[in-house]
Amino acid sequence: MMLHGYGGHILRVDLSSGRIKREKSDPDYMLEVIGGRGLNSRRLYDELDREIDPLSEENLLLIGVGPVTGSLFSTSAYMTISGKSPLTGILGDSAAGGFFGPEIKYAGYDQLIFTGKADKLCYVYICDDQVEIRDASHLKGKDIFHTTAAIRKELNDNNLQIAAIGPAGENLVRYSIVACNNSRVCGRTGMGCLFGTKNLKAVVVKGTGMVSTADPLKFMKLCETIDRRIMEHPEFQDRHDMGSTLLMKALNGLGILPVNHFQKGMAPYVDKISGQTLASMYKVKNKGCYNCNINCSRYYITPEVESEGPEYETLCSFSSRIGSDNLPFALKMNHYLNRMGLDSLSTGETIGWAMECVEKGIFSKDDFDGLDFSWGNIETVEQILDLIINQQGIGAEFAKGTRYLAQTMGKGSEKYALHVKGLDVICGDPRGIKAFGLTYAIASRGADHLRAEPFFELTNRFDEAEKRFGTRDAADRLSDNGKAQLVEFTERQALLTDCLTMCKNVGLSMDVLDFELAAELLQAGTGLKFTEDVVNKSLRATITNDRLMNIDFGVTAKDDTLPHRFTHEPLTEGASKNQVVPVHDMVKDYYRIKGWDDNGVPKKP
Amino acid sequence: MLVIDANKCSGCRRCETHCSFYHSGKTGYHGARIKVEKIEMIGLDFPVVCHQCKEHYCTRCPQKAISVTPRGSIEVSPTLCDLCGACEKLCPVGAIEIYNDIPQVCDLCGGTPRCVIACEMNAIAYDPTLRQSVSLSSLKKKNARLTPMKKRHERALQEGKLLREAWLKKRSV
Repeated sequence: MMLHGYGGHILRVDLSSGRIKREKSDPDYMLEVIGGRGLNSRRLYDELDREIDPLSEENLLLIGVGPVTGSLFSTSAYMTISGKSPLTGILGDSAAGGFFGPEIKYAGYDQLIFTGKADKLCYVYICDDQVEIRDASHLKGKDIFHTTAAIRKELNDNNLQIAAIGPAGENLVRYSIVACNNSRVCGRTGMGCLFGTKNLKAVVVKGTGMVSTADPLKFMKLCETIDRRIMEHPEFQDRHDMGSTLLMKALNGLGILPVNHFQKGMAPYVDKISGQTLASMYKVKNKGCYNCNINCSRYYITPEVESEGPEYETLCSFSSRIGSDNLPFALKMNHYLNRMGLDSLSTGETIGWAMECVEKGIFSKDDFDGLDFSWGNIETVEQILDLIINQQGIGAEFAKGTRYLAQTMGKGSEKYALHVKGLDVICGDPRGIKAFGLTYAIASRGADHLRAEPFFELTNRFDEAEKRFGTRDAADRLSDNGKAQLVEFTERQALLTDCLTMCKNVGLSMDVLDFELAAELLQAGTGLKFTEDVVNKSLRATITNDRLMNIDFGVTAKDDTLPHRFTHEPLTEGASKNQVVPVHDMVKDYYRIKGWDDNGVPKKP
Repeated sequence: MLVIDANKCSGCRRCETHCSFYHSGKTGYHGARIKVEKIEMIGLDFPVVCHQCKEHYCTRCPQKAISVTPRGSIEVSPTLCDLCGACEKLCPVGAIEIYNDIPQVCDLCGGTPRCVIACEMNAIAYDPTLRQSVSLSSLKKKNARLTPMKKRHERALQEGKLLREAWLKKRSV
């Protein structure tokens, strides 16, 4: 039987022995996992030894794509990299858009599996069914931009898709990134470090095949439906103009913009660092991922640098979160972090934590190798980055993440380390967005919004809330009522976008994807018997498996919580004044809806 | 002809996707007759497609398999074509390339180019009155020995030069 939609093969590359194996994708297996993150999670669940040190060569490195990746389906651009996280020690994965995911499909694969460790720095070149492990010692210490350009030159092909790490990844900074074609980044949970532990500098893909569909006409009609929903969406124009950077002003208005390491929710200087200012001052044109009709990214030129991006999280992490109102500096940092290979969120959190600890008098200059961590001190930021990347001095401690840093340095600084399960909190203050608070607490990779992104609570769709979740409160961002229902729903929706490898801004935040349409799309795309029930069953199974895996990694109900600040310190001004997150009750509610016991353990089926 | 505005192109390759889907029911840029050359380091995205050039180099096909339609687009006779690859060599910009035993070249989708509909950035426009208005003779010699892929790269660099000058001028203001 011809398997439509899917790439059709799983590639196993053992970097220790150099053995390369190509297996056929099994349609029944695919029906259970769909693809992308679902496929990766299941592989980890089945094949990963739970006890291993994430930095050891026993760790698995998976790159997964889905059945509609690289198809006519708008924004089907993503791919997910998974493994045991070097930063958190639990389930780790990170997705990026761009063109790398589609290229994997054109090369005829659904998943790339890397095991073992090469004896010296290498890169893997995949051109359809030809796979080669090539020496990369000449690229040692080279930044991501240089590496990408050098490999293209070496292989004499400007159209190669390249996922590479920079010096930070080689030096095993726990939160280093993998960047695809320079600016499309798998940032979270340290997948770049995982590359580094395997001595893998880059994965290079070229595919000369095409993605077929079982029922092209039906598939096209469904894609047109999604396109229409995107184009007619009220947020379309703003997202096109600013992308996620529109959140700077929006979150400031809601009083939940992280300012001075979440001590405040509003920045009086927000207009200096807003998405609007970025667009009018430095943007030269829009950029887009594969087959996108929004094209939310932007190419910018400042007096110092030019690059693509940044996303809101980077912009905020290197402006208001660390007390800086300097937009060109944030843009310079976006470029520098992408080049050297650091995750902006985790890096920003270590810096913000240090600045707050100095402000609170817990630590002084002397504790930080003489660096002056006062708010917005951009010289210090530039200095600490190089120390982190090269693992020098205090930078070697910073390179292990905020949780480790605070635990090691102690003196009560742990209270100000804003992480859940070792993953640093994103740039959205949960005190004014309660469902996000619950999401950070229960997300299977730590404090992250993308596991459920309950953007719905910000949309004022009260009637829809009543219909979907049984209470109008689900659409009220300050209420904690109905949020467990909302998160249970959007958690599945988020996983669905990850399995389809669709953009989350579109699938989730703009809420254009529903389960019924997804099932039809999958059926038209693959010819397999995907129904709404089959899809939901698959999504629920993946979420349960992820949970069971995390329990094996040592996660307990105690870890499903938020940092002290968000549960006990009310915001003092702005539109979310006096708010905290009653996270304990919400988590309990969530367990109940999931059918998990009081310890957050899924019941045996 | 199809008129490209590189300043607007976001490099999303939606044109390629819709082109290949229209022509084959599948997606993949190798099967597309418009191909976006992306040069990330300098922020350049340039869709390369048949310009219906003044010279009509590809019609020098040794099998006489290539002709020009009344619409101005290129037509390849599947019975006369023997896949010799001369057209790939003849075209100075790499707008014709053999894939799956077919010389892939823009046929304007019979008058309703799908890339124009698909492009949300309005970077591609179809002007039926413009025909044979572009001369590619300056590139012909320079690119003669290159592969179609390399020719597209050169073409993008050439066009991108002006674009970047404009961007950088804006920056100094």
